[in-house]
Amino acid sequence: MMTMQSLENKLQKASRKQAALYLLCNFVSLMLITAYTVILFSPTILNVLPEGGDSRKQLYAVFAMALFGCVIFTIYAASLFFRKKSRQLGILMALGASKKRLAPGLFREVALLSGFSSLTGIVAGIPFVILLWKIFRLFIVDSDEMNLVINYQCLFVSAAFCLLVTGCACIMAYQYLRKTNILDVVQEEHKNEPVKELGCWCGPLGIFLIFAGAVAGYYSGSVYQALFQAYPPSWLNITYAPVFIGLYLVMMHTVIHGWVSHKKKPYKNIISRSMMKFQGKQTVNSLIVSTILIAGGCFAIFYIPVLATAQMIDINNHEYDYAYHYRADQNVPSQREVVDLADSYGLSLKDWKECPYITLGMDGYEEIQDENLAFHVEYSPLLNSGNFLSESSYRKMTGQKISVPPKSYYALTGTQSSGSLFANVNATNLINMVTREKIEVTFKDYLHFDLMAGNRKFYVINDLDYDEISRKLSPVWNGTLVYFNAAGKDNYNFASTFFHTFVDSFGPECELPLYYDPVAKIAKEEKGLTYWGDTDSMSAVSYEEADSSDFRLYWAYMPQFRILDRNDFLTTFSVYLMAFMFVALICFAAAMVIGYTRCQAIALNNRYVFDDLKRLGGSPGFLTAEVRRQCIIVFRIPALTGMALMTLLYSMLLYANDNRLTSSELYSLLVCLGVLGVLSIAFFLIYRYTVRKIEDDLGIRKIK
Amino acid sequence: MLNVKNLRKSYSIGKKTYPVLKGVDLSVAKGEFVAVMGPSGSGKSTLLNCISCYIPFEDGNITLGGQELKDMNENQLAKIRNEKLGFVFQDFMLLDGLTIRENILVPRIIQGSVSRDAENRADRLINLFGISHIRSKYPAEVSGGERQRTAVARSLINDPLIILADEPTGNLDSKSSRTVIEAFDHARNQMDATIFMVTHDSFSASFCDRVILLKDGTVYRQLCKAGQRSAFHDLLLDAIKEMSGDEK
Repeated sequence: MMTMQSLENKLQKASRKQAALYLLCNFVSLMLITAYTVILFSPTILNVLPEGGDSRKQLYAVFAMALFGCVIFTIYAASLFFRKKSRQLGILMALGASKKRLAPGLFREVALLSGFSSLTGIVAGIPFVILLWKIFRLFIVDSDEMNLVINYQCLFVSAAFCLLVTGCACIMAYQYLRKTNILDVVQEEHKNEPVKELGCWCGPLGIFLIFAGAVAGYYSGSVYQALFQAYPPSWLNITYAPVFIGLYLVMMHTVIHGWVSHKKKPYKNIISRSMMKFQGKQTVNSLIVSTILIAGGCFAIFYIPVLATAQMIDINNHEYDYAYHYRADQNVPSQREVVDLADSYGLSLKDWKECPYITLGMDGYEEIQDENLAFHVEYSPLLNSGNFLSESSYRKMTGQKISVPPKSYYALTGTQSSGSLFANVNATNLINMVTREKIEVTFKDYLHFDLMAGNRKFYVINDLDYDEISRKLSPVWNGTLVYFNAAGKDNYNFASTFFHTFVDSFGPECELPLYYDPVAKIAKEEKGLTYWGDTDSMSAVSYEEADSSDFRLYWAYMPQFRILDRNDFLTTFSVYLMAFMFVALICFAAAMVIGYTRCQAIALNNRYVFDDLKRLGGSPGFLTAEVRRQCIIVFRIPALTGMALMTLLYSMLLYANDNRLTSSELYSLLVCLGVLGVLSIAFFLIYRYTVRKIEDDLGIRKIK
Repeated sequence: MLNVKNLRKSYSIGKKTYPVLKGVDLSVAKGEFVAVMGPSGSGKSTLLNCISCYIPFEDGNITLGGQELKDMNENQLAKIRNEKLGFVFQDFMLLDGLTIRENILVPRIIQGSVSRDAENRADRLINLFGISHIRSKYPAEVSGGERQRTAVARSLINDPLIILADEPTGNLDSKSSRTVIEAFDHARNQMDATIFMVTHDSFSASFCDRVILLKDGTVYRQLCKAGQRSAFHDLLLDAIKEMSGDEK
């Protein structure tokens, strides 16, 4: 005997194809979100990406984008499911089923579908991430640091997402039940959702707004800082809003007018254009979400070539194969011992050069943060430290013919840089930290030598000034700088052994990170304050983990051995690279699923149009072309826009470093374009698969 | 049985309001087979949808079996639709996942469980409308005429006060149309059913006892069958011609 529940069960079984798309979307989004949160909460990642650092912020930003995208496309899949379901609901309502009678079955079905797909998605997310991570370790790079540790607290995010998705689906079900016009419910499936007709101006205006928003968003922080003497608050990110408005207008233009003029041939593609326009609302939404996800994915994946290319070019540009410096009170291997060690590996050394340097205090200006985000600039008679070479030592080490006038100093930067963020160029006094004697100086200019660039904070002063200020300095404030080359082919094993020997020769007093400034510490303590480097804010380095990325990136005396840096690059940056690659994969996968789902929806919603066209004599070739024209827009426009946006943003970021694009930056942009090429092929393959699937579903496959 | 008084309904598109029914008055007696005809846009389907309570109306009264529909809440209306009204739609509105027999039983299933009596009644209807050979098939596996006869059988399963049919032959060829109209005729003659049908087809309308001509949202004229069906068909065609001529 059939009851309402058995009738509903039978109807659910019959409409499982409609439910399959919703199940798939929900499953995929929960799997991706779970996989992403596993990565985001994993101690493996958190230990490597510094708290408050740019890399971690970038991961969070892309996660926010992926989350937004997944929420939108899951809700969209639910709405698609209800559109198909509405006919069933409408017929039952028309035959006298009250909403009270229909509600339990409908909510049961929604809860079951959402709950089942969400739970399986969450459960599948963990093996998915483990498998992918293992594949990375097996085929790309492996290191001890890459042992993936899972913090199961991440499941709270997935659970919240699951609740959100189920809640949204239930609200949608409630809205359908609340409709008073039964005919609306029955006809919901065939209801068109045309977009508001905007003029041809919307596309160009959209492009202008995207550019304007990108520039406004990028520069608003520095303008705010200059105007208000305060760090920019987070709400200032609203200045990026024109980008999203522009994106919306561009997508509207794509759907309403297309980007090819139809004035000469007004009937060309008129059917596919009209289909797109009358399903416009959802198409525009899908295009925007896909664009954001692709842009987020590109943002993450570009990190890898930009970092790798910059590092590789930097390593290749090193003027010597081996470079290191050490404090005079450390018992590091002598030249003889190093040569003997190299000998034992069958390696000869040449061009051995070494010189002394001294560490001095410098005065200068620092930004003091007041309440909230405001700050003021304050002069500090003892601000930070610098490592100073005499001009003759510098000439000896670099071969550059320079002359430093008395009472002046030069700061070091890279050969491709015009300045340095790390250099103190406002100092007027150099201070002997033992005697507290000072000499007055003025900043002269930058010198360029890659091995002394960056945050090693090297400076050059006049020989006489050097002699004067270095008097009575204890070994703690003295150091030695050493450069040499390998004669013939270099040997990695030697470099590795020498590196570990070098590290082992240091005492615990030098187990410090690069940012730890001994002068700043003294200055703070003299004021009765605690130096931030002695708080938990400063990430520690440990001799025990000399092969970890933390140590290699942040140890204050980290040597620069070309063959070691080059060979160990992947291992050193493994967690960074894999985390970003993983995030990019998730964003791209989500964008592909959205594209696939949207194309399926276009086919489902327009099935009756294709049937009519068939009856009017539309050949399989004609019908296939109509499908392809729509699908290609769904895939091509977000891919092109997302990729172009991120290429533009990265170009801006690289340019803004020093108001020019260096050769290494240009090279890394070229590598990014190569990555985009590979990505385009992947999207094309998914597009081809989607079109074939739709052709099969509609029964319009062109027989060749 | 059915009384409609001064029924008014308008649609809004954007800021504009278009009145569709401008005060319709009509009544249908028990056992009567009545058709409503009129040109496109005259308000035929809107009238039927208002009587079915599928869409709300602004003004007027609809009384069914002595009960006023206007003041009923959603649950009461659902009960009326289920127990007092039977529906036949142009696109059949059968549930694809159910067999022909199960589709006929849907209004009973909505009431609760299906009794042996209800199953027997469904079987009788299946036999009456000549669809016993497809009783276990699904809607997608049968012809349009068979689907519509299934819909007629479904409309009768609860022995309603009146069957409301919206263009029941609109999607059918002439042969299938005839079988469906004959099914209505059987229902009226053998089950004493009351039928209110909206149609464009004068041939189908000629089977009715009475035809109401609707024009511009009001009742233009009513014609009653006095003699042979063919004579009534001719009368109808003349009236339609006259109504169209007025437009010129």
